[in-house]
Amino acid sequence: MPDRRISPTVVWSAILAGAVVASTVVAVLVDPITLRSNSRIMVLALAVLGIVVATGQTGLVSLGHGAFVGTGAFATAVFVDDVGVPVLLAIPLAAGVAALFGGLVGIPALRLRGIQLALVTLGVAVVFPVVARQYPAWTGGVTGRPVQASLEPPGWMPAPFDESGSFRFLVCVLVCLAGFWLAYNLVHSSVGRAMRAVRDDDIAAAAYGVNRTTTKVGAFAFSAALAGVAGSLQVMLFPFVSHDQFDVFLSLRIYAAAIVGGVAYIVGAVLGVAALVIVPAINDALGLLESETAVFGLALIVLTFVAPGGLVELFLRGWERWRRMRQEPHVPDGDSADEAGPGEAPVLRPTAAARRLRGQR
Amino acid sequence: MDLFLQRIFDGLFNGAIYASLAVAIVITFRTTGILNFAQGELATFSAYIALLLLNPGARTLTGSGLVSNLIPGTPWPVPVAICGAVVAGAAAGAFVERVVIRPLARAPDLSVVNVTIGLLILVNAVVVETWGLRGYLLESPFPTGADDYLGVGGARLRLETIGVWATLLAVLALLATVLRRTRLGLAFRAVTTNPESAELCGIPLGRTRFAGWVIAGALGALAATLVAHSVVLDPFMMLRLLIFSFAAATLGGLDSPGGAVVGGILIGLAQSLVPGYIPGIGSEVSLVPAVAAMLLVLLIRPTGLFGTRRVSRV
Repeated sequence: MPDRRISPTVVWSAILAGAVVASTVVAVLVDPITLRSNSRIMVLALAVLGIVVATGQTGLVSLGHGAFVGTGAFATAVFVDDVGVPVLLAIPLAAGVAALFGGLVGIPALRLRGIQLALVTLGVAVVFPVVARQYPAWTGGVTGRPVQASLEPPGWMPAPFDESGSFRFLVCVLVCLAGFWLAYNLVHSSVGRAMRAVRDDDIAAAAYGVNRTTTKVGAFAFSAALAGVAGSLQVMLFPFVSHDQFDVFLSLRIYAAAIVGGVAYIVGAVLGVAALVIVPAINDALGLLESETAVFGLALIVLTFVAPGGLVELFLRGWERWRRMRQEPHVPDGDSADEAGPGEAPVLRPTAAARRLRGQR
Repeated sequence: MDLFLQRIFDGLFNGAIYASLAVAIVITFRTTGILNFAQGELATFSAYIALLLLNPGARTLTGSGLVSNLIPGTPWPVPVAICGAVVAGAAAGAFVERVVIRPLARAPDLSVVNVTIGLLILVNAVVVETWGLRGYLLESPFPTGADDYLGVGGARLRLETIGVWATLLAVLALLATVLRRTRLGLAFRAVTTNPESAELCGIPLGRTRFAGWVIAGALGALAATLVAHSVVLDPFMMLRLLIFSFAAATLGGLDSPGGAVVGGILIGLAQSLVPGYIPGIGSEVSLVPAVAAMLLVLLIRPTGLFGTRRVSRV
């Protein structure tokens, strides 16, 4: 959380600079194959961010973001290879196609309570790979399709990024950052307030003059567009798309990652996707389970009891406690007992940090 | 004409399966007010229990066969094994309600949704861990041979279809009797109509909801064991069926068990008739009509065919 005395522009510039430095270090240190396989999961941060915008901010539960990732990926393949669009230009185009698809899926959201939209999106997630198989001209059918055109670094690129693997990594980092910046600005604008008003009580929001239709469909389309960009970046990192990359479990993992990270916060998407990268790594290292998905299922259940706001809430809570201990070092932390035992809603204090916790409904 | 009849019969078989899972979903929804996304996975788990009971000594487990050694003796007869699976399904429903759902009674809706999604992922992963990804053939309690059919107007009405429908109707009749004639049924209806008033009248809210989950778990298990013969039993079996059943429940109205049955039949028929008569839709994409039906119903009549309209106040 940025300190509010510093202007967001400064903070975002610092993040941008930090990201460039960090990607330089990573590009130099990490070998290309590890880099690429982890980046393919890392770009899902945008899809997870999409869940944060749709579910966390607007209250629209989506179990189908894997389908939007797939839409973005297939659209990129079609635009780049069949139409001949430059690779970087294909990203916004793919985002547009995903947004269109998301808007179409989101229209029922107008009449539905959150839970029924979850049904529809789950249906979309299950149907998507099946339908994708039926159109081999676009999707490569059962076998999938390789993508010929690829993203190569321009001649003027400096040292670690003149090699195509690390250049693509840099592009992915920058595009992800742009997505987060957009989402941050959206959430902190009047549109964001309208989204939260619709989430908390859409009838009351309508009574106050919020246009429910545009808010819901717009938020869902934007969130689908973010997922579409994630798909586009995946194609850029690995030039092959196939229907079975976008099955229902991708959607469920994206959703789980958002909830685990903290669905009410933009930062939650970062933590969630970090979990997507780290959990399988730990699981591989220790050889615990054949499928790391079990860990996500378990985390989803346990965190609902312990910290419904996800990892962000855990961090905020720890930070709050540490701050209070520092202010009154000799007083024992007397009211830690009411800090949300299992099964209880966490007791929130009227601090700025705690007020942000109300997000999850 | 025979082809048309044949497609109707095929649709009826699937419809029965969708209907029973849809009724399970509706019962959970009515009692607890939540959609159980893990309903299908709990049912899959029960079907694997039936597999275990039918093939005790066999190496159906990927691991050391520890669990299979715990169940000694000869294979159980199919109907008994199915009863065992139904009991397991009921127990699974009971366990889930007690351990994760009841503590969240006052939690926001989204938390409960997240928990059932977590359960879906977790149970699926556990099934994959335990039994692996391969498919198994589960025996059917009904005759399924090539000659076990009744010829009706040139089409074949399989005895399996008749058996599944007979079972479903018997179970539904039992359920309706319980709901209409017993004290539990009265409590059940009171809780679904207005939980707070019901509790004030002295109806045990927790116990009634518990009963709802047990019934739903048992129904799901029944659906899974009956369908497992005609589709291959693999970890993702019920996830595919879940979409059809959700569509059926939505079509009939999420709070109407009768509607769920009608919805199940309609979805089953749509699944077998639409690919047959609308060019360009192969049988592989038979999911599409189901999802399309769900979308249409939600757009035109969100309460479904038989659901009750909810009026909300600010």
